[in-house]
Amino acid sequence: MSEHRRFEDLVLPHLDAAYNLARWLARDTHDAEDVVQDACVRALKYVGSVHGGDARAWLLTIVRHAFYDWCRRNRPVEIARDDGSAIDAAVDHVSVGPEQAALRSSDSRTLAEAVAALPLAYREVLVLREMEELSYKDIARVLDIPVGTVMSRLARARGLLQRSPLLHAIAGRATGDGA
Amino acid sequence: MNCNEATPLVTAFADGEIDRLRGYSIRKHLDGCADCKAKYEAVLALRERLRTEVPYFVAPPGLRARLGVLAEETSVAQRRVPQTSDRWRWLAGGAFAGSLATVLVWMLGTAVLQSRGNVDPGLEAVAAHSRATLGQHLIQVASADQHTVKPWLSSRLDYSPPVPDLASAGFPLLGGRLDYLDGHAVAVLVYGYRQHTIDVFVRPEPFHDASPAARSVRGFNVARAAGSGMDWLAVSDVNADVLGQFMQRLVGGSAPN
Repeated sequence: MSEHRRFEDLVLPHLDAAYNLARWLARDTHDAEDVVQDACVRALKYVGSVHGGDARAWLLTIVRHAFYDWCRRNRPVEIARDDGSAIDAAVDHVSVGPEQAALRSSDSRTLAEAVAALPLAYREVLVLREMEELSYKDIARVLDIPVGTVMSRLARARGLLQRSPLLHAIAGRATGDGA
Repeated sequence: MNCNEATPLVTAFADGEIDRLRGYSIRKHLDGCADCKAKYEAVLALRERLRTEVPYFVAPPGLRARLGVLAEETSVAQRRVPQTSDRWRWLAGGAFAGSLATVLVWMLGTAVLQSRGNVDPGLEAVAAHSRATLGQHLIQVASADQHTVKPWLSSRLDYSPPVPDLASAGFPLLGGRLDYLDGHAVAVLVYGYRQHTIDVFVRPEPFHDASPAARSVRGFNVARAAGSGMDWLAVSDVNADVLGQFMQRLVGGSAPN
């Protein structure tokens, strides 16, 4: 099969998934298109080596790499702030909640805004699980982290959204924790 | 199972990551434990809110078109490469030998397939689904009303496919189209599930498919069932569980109409 055909068969069916991930990571329509286009150029190069069954996770991996490369060039500050390992370290200190503070300071009045305000490391794991419905194993592959880390980041992402004060219309529980 | 054992598993259970046996024990624990049950339900509630309140962004048509062109240009450029330099001619020779081998294997493969005398409808259905999605003619008659879609299809075919209404189960009817599967016109019902589409090929003759009732082809899930005097073949990028539920409702719930 030609590369072109393989691209049509393996990449284009997952273009929406690719764009959705890029759009949630970049949080901008134009930038997301740039990222997806760059990812597709890379995908074309390597499309000969992918197996059909893994095409979506494979493409999402490429999109994510393309995003981080793009981000390093265009928004280096964001990467430094949202660095996954720094966040994982911070998570262990129960008293410190930088991402919670970030979420509180942002003006998230809707759930969509709260998702967009999540630190990158949590945003990507949430999008892959709840929107793309990837299994833990596939998420671990896409993000290149252990399954245990997938689970802890996912738990943290959900916790942040559930506790996000502006979203928590039902109970006043969220007001208790000081930054 | 007690709380200490169940707590770390509750979220994974809500994510469908727990096997059936342990799932059974967790479910039993949830019935008797309000704390764990609340945790479980919080995950489901958040999921429901994410589903309804947070947008899923689909690729803009312009981007899709640009990428199609990009792929075409790249493949043309790649075909020209071997002629450009003498240094690479030996490589081109290798490529020629390689493609000759490919052709031979392909001919052999085709011969074997033909000797078996059957095509794989699952593969064909996935190819038809991809073609329809790419060419954006996924739906020829767009209607959520089964009484519009059904007559449209039956007026173009020599059979009248049932068109079950599954909107209440979360699978709204989006429309239908005609497609071809191993040389015959076939009715395709198009259902939605969140941002996904599910193509359902329906015909009275069985799809002659020796493959299992559910499988994965090129990243798509394919499921097959018989019922209401028809054979049903569904193709979608929704996960296998959802497609399984869909098939159950489709075939189980299709009252004669």
